[in-house]
Amino acid sequence: MDHGQLDKMAEIAASPRDYAVAFKARTGRKVIASYPMHLPAEIVHAAGALPVVLQESTEEISVGHGLIYPFYCGFSRSTIDQAARGELDFADGVVFGDTCVQILGSADVVRVTHPEKPVYFFQLLACMRDSWTAENVEETIGKLRRGVERMLDTTITDQALWDSIELFNENRRMIRRIYEIRRRNPEVIDATRLQDVVKSSMVMDKAEHNALLSGVLEQLAEKSGGPGFRTRVFVSGHMCHAPKPEILDMIEEVGAVIVDDDLYTGLRYVSTDIPENDADPIRAIAASYVTRNANIPDPTKIDPDVDWDGYLLNAVEASRAEGLIILMPKYCEPHMYYYPEIKEAFEREDIPHLLIETDHEQLPIESMRTRLETFVEMLRQRELA
Amino acid sequence: MLAELAPPPTTSNRLKTTAMNNRMVTAYWDDLFAAKDNGKLVCWYEGVAINPLLQAMDISWCHGEAWSALLAAKKEEQPALLASEERGYGRELCSYARTHLGTGILRERGQIPGSPDHEHIAGRAPAPDLIISAYPYCSTGQQWDEMLFRLFGKRVPVFNITLPYIWGNGSSHAYMQGEEFEDAVKFLTRQLRECVTFIEGVTGRKFDWDRLSEIMSYTKKAGELRLEAMRMCKARPAPATFFEWSISIAPVNFLSAGPEIVEYFEKLNAEIAGRVASGTGSVPREKYRLFWDGIMNWGKLGWMAEKFSGYDACMVAGRYTHMGFWQEPQVIDVDDPLEGMARNYLTCPINHSAPYMIDRITELCEFYEIDGLVMHGARTCRAFSNPQFLIAQEVSKRLGVKIAMIEGDMIDPSFYKDELVNSRVEAMLEAIDARRGLI
Repeated sequence: MDHGQLDKMAEIAASPRDYAVAFKARTGRKVIASYPMHLPAEIVHAAGALPVVLQESTEEISVGHGLIYPFYCGFSRSTIDQAARGELDFADGVVFGDTCVQILGSADVVRVTHPEKPVYFFQLLACMRDSWTAENVEETIGKLRRGVERMLDTTITDQALWDSIELFNENRRMIRRIYEIRRRNPEVIDATRLQDVVKSSMVMDKAEHNALLSGVLEQLAEKSGGPGFRTRVFVSGHMCHAPKPEILDMIEEVGAVIVDDDLYTGLRYVSTDIPENDADPIRAIAASYVTRNANIPDPTKIDPDVDWDGYLLNAVEASRAEGLIILMPKYCEPHMYYYPEIKEAFEREDIPHLLIETDHEQLPIESMRTRLETFVEMLRQRELA
Repeated sequence: MLAELAPPPTTSNRLKTTAMNNRMVTAYWDDLFAAKDNGKLVCWYEGVAINPLLQAMDISWCHGEAWSALLAAKKEEQPALLASEERGYGRELCSYARTHLGTGILRERGQIPGSPDHEHIAGRAPAPDLIISAYPYCSTGQQWDEMLFRLFGKRVPVFNITLPYIWGNGSSHAYMQGEEFEDAVKFLTRQLRECVTFIEGVTGRKFDWDRLSEIMSYTKKAGELRLEAMRMCKARPAPATFFEWSISIAPVNFLSAGPEIVEYFEKLNAEIAGRVASGTGSVPREKYRLFWDGIMNWGKLGWMAEKFSGYDACMVAGRYTHMGFWQEPQVIDVDDPLEGMARNYLTCPINHSAPYMIDRITELCEFYEIDGLVMHGARTCRAFSNPQFLIAQEVSKRLGVKIAMIEGDMIDPSFYKDELVNSRVEAMLEAIDARRGLI
């Protein structure tokens, strides 16, 4: 298999800032950095700018220590550190939503350290099922459109929004096709390679990314992938930022193969398209936001009608996984709240799960390896029994 | 641990009126524990003080943070914390939430091994008949209530109020002004009206607006008297401390509003005015005037009061007490109170972004002639901890005040390290002395 497209994606995923800087030099267009999870990036794209989802850096936290306590998630601390070190210089503005209280704190620091940069806040409702949810979300997305217009001193036309929606939907559909292929034949693509696909999509110009994806899909369709002796597992968690590739590699080195996930830098990012048959693009974006919980429940938003644990039970069964590995970033409050629900549901259904806590700093790799080996061995024994 | 056994000598000169507060608080909790026997519905809620809406309809209420603070103050938080830990809630989660969820677990699932619930206050909270979530700024609030809703098998009706965070997108934005703020007020007022409809649905009765007006008239008066008394603490020595204002939060947070809360603040004002006249300080030998930023450490309230008094340091004011709890009573129209309530909820001391917070704290520090800021980084309250480095840097730069960063928690005692607190506070006091040219 020619790894050209995947290698290109991996290169960009490893250094989003370099891509953004080169993009600006090449096109003369502006770049808007966004906090993860909730921004409908189509709006930024329709304004003629490049939307880039902020990523956790591999750098150790340094000057950021002076701006936030150490008991914050690695993503929050890393973005603060990047801001303090001037590494967000590529962005002409920053957009963030109310993903969680730590993100709010991080955005405050970014604004204070970059007073010259517009930092726009939009608040989508905490609850997805209030009687005013749909109306309020539509209003907020409309305000976001006007906010982005002000940031970039431009006008966003409905036609530009529809064009961006079509482009982004195509990107989501192609990535979901890779996921379908992996579910059938997980040996065709490593989990870290798939992470590169999604992460680069968060960073790159979508048209450029779509061109690479077409090539990847063609090659994957022709690939046989091998016999598949490894134990199938589903990986869940890690909102906001990507788990370290070393962890995904380790899971797949100890005899397991990841067949599906609900990671943000994974299927969650592409779970829901924006309907293209509405008369109003803002209403269509709002509808997508309100309904996406039905596809993959979002623990940063409450929804009494949707159960993350129930979703995971179904998803594990549908992907024919033998067990669930939960990757929980240390200090991630939304995740910590929902974990007991998931734990109890999996214990009730007698489906094994393993909780791994991750952090920005050096991970206890060897003890993690031992735990993973034991878990995978236990899954094997159950298969044989 | 040794320091725990040997606290500094008691030197503070506490206000006498706060004994009345303690009696009102005890009576409130006894009423709540007897609510079901008295045929009353019980609401569990978190966040801002929406209890006037409940009081107007004779519903009893349990405010999650107040409840957790009670357990911490009584050193009875552990059974609830253990119950939540046993269920799998991580100890880095909000300890208010862990304590309240633990209470829910004890109530819904019975006692946990080794901790018979009948032996603990945690087992006495009556189960909720309705849940209302009204958390400002902090995402943890909504999730905490969602988990209570799920813990009780989705049987208990829940109402979610979203409080818009006041970020300041427009350049024209200022404290309690501007399009963003007014939009937030409109949206929150609408939600409060919907909440009234929800309460009507649960009780099957029409909402008693006259009763709400009466309640809010007491609340407004109490709020005004409290601010008046606080402002008297500009005097040197200050007649009351932040720790005494922390005790006095209850009447303007979760106690029933009636003539008693007005009487309380009238008596408090009289005592404070008397102290100003006689030159009596809450800290007898007031040498330093400090400001407490962050949430209170409820298990160490008395301990902290004595610790700072032992240093001749008066904690004159704080973000938690002086920027919250009906802190803008003048905007409440008692005949049509919802909008004024919304304005107060939205300006609570965590719901503004850092620049506005810094301006308000600077004003307070100037007014009270503050020498130093004690930044209490509550480990599991990131809502309060978020802007603390920014506040410390900017207020220090503007006013030259000295800083002590200390860590602890509002409930969980395991995050508090006394010797670290001592050394950081002592270093700050020395820096203040140096600034004054005393050393």
